[in-house]
Amino acid sequence: MAESQIQSYLRALKRQLRIYGVFDSEYLDEVESHLLEAVAEGIRQGLSEEKAERRAMERFGSIKVVAPGFAMERKNIMQNLLLAVAVIAGLFSAYVDSRPTWDDTGILAFGILIVSGLITLLGYRRPWVIALAVGIWIPLHGIFIAHNYGSSLALVFAFVGAYGGWLVRLVIQKTLHPA
Amino acid sequence: MFGEALKGHLDLLLLAILADGPAHGYAIIEALRNRSGGMFDLPEGTIYPALHRLENQGLLQSVWSDEAPRRKRIYQLTLKGQQALASRQDEWKQFSKAINATVGL
Repeated sequence: MAESQIQSYLRALKRQLRIYGVFDSEYLDEVESHLLEAVAEGIRQGLSEEKAERRAMERFGSIKVVAPGFAMERKNIMQNLLLAVAVIAGLFSAYVDSRPTWDDTGILAFGILIVSGLITLLGYRRPWVIALAVGIWIPLHGIFIAHNYGSSLALVFAFVGAYGGWLVRLVIQKTLHPA
Repeated sequence: MFGEALKGHLDLLLLAILADGPAHGYAIIEALRNRSGGMFDLPEGTIYPALHRLENQGLLQSVWSDEAPRRKRIYQLTLKGQQALASRQDEWKQFSKAINATVGL
């Protein structure tokens, strides 16, 4: 049985959304529901099924126009999620650092560097925000509670990590999409 | 028509349409087209990301309805959405009044 134009459109949209990192099938379910509704309306108005399908897709918009819109919305959710992870990781590192039994600063510094780097590598747009979200808690606790000014070094590791991840991502993007 | 100009006001338009009651995406787009006399004719696929964004902001909520002949995602205003609509309507009144006064209408 030949694939309908709607099914071809949905398949192409699914492929494009995957390129943008969107895997949520609810989007496609909603688009399919919309297109079928539009086709039914076209047929009610006297169009042939083929013409109704074509009109439905034309009105919905080309995949090049539609897919980035869905991806942008997804990106914003992802940004908030990454920021939340950064804050949690930062608070956790401050908690670990504040324990009297903990004295391995090197591991903590390395952890802050890696976490900050990973988060910006995964796509957070503003590295300075991530550096602060991960690295501010140890200095806050160190300076105001323990009067340890050396703890502000945690911020340095967070900034180095965040900008390092951001730079690597930039290089990857430039390599994959030279234009 | 008016595609670019509409983008900044799309949230207000969608909230206003849903003030009349819950509706699915296709019905919202039809209402947008009909109420504007066909002037607001955006690519329909660009409306859904806006609806999802409003839902993420807590201004709308949605549920899937399994009513025949096909599943539909039904959107409706939340209390926060109603308040946002009232506030944006006030802003729009002031804005359009200022524009009208400036251009001499």
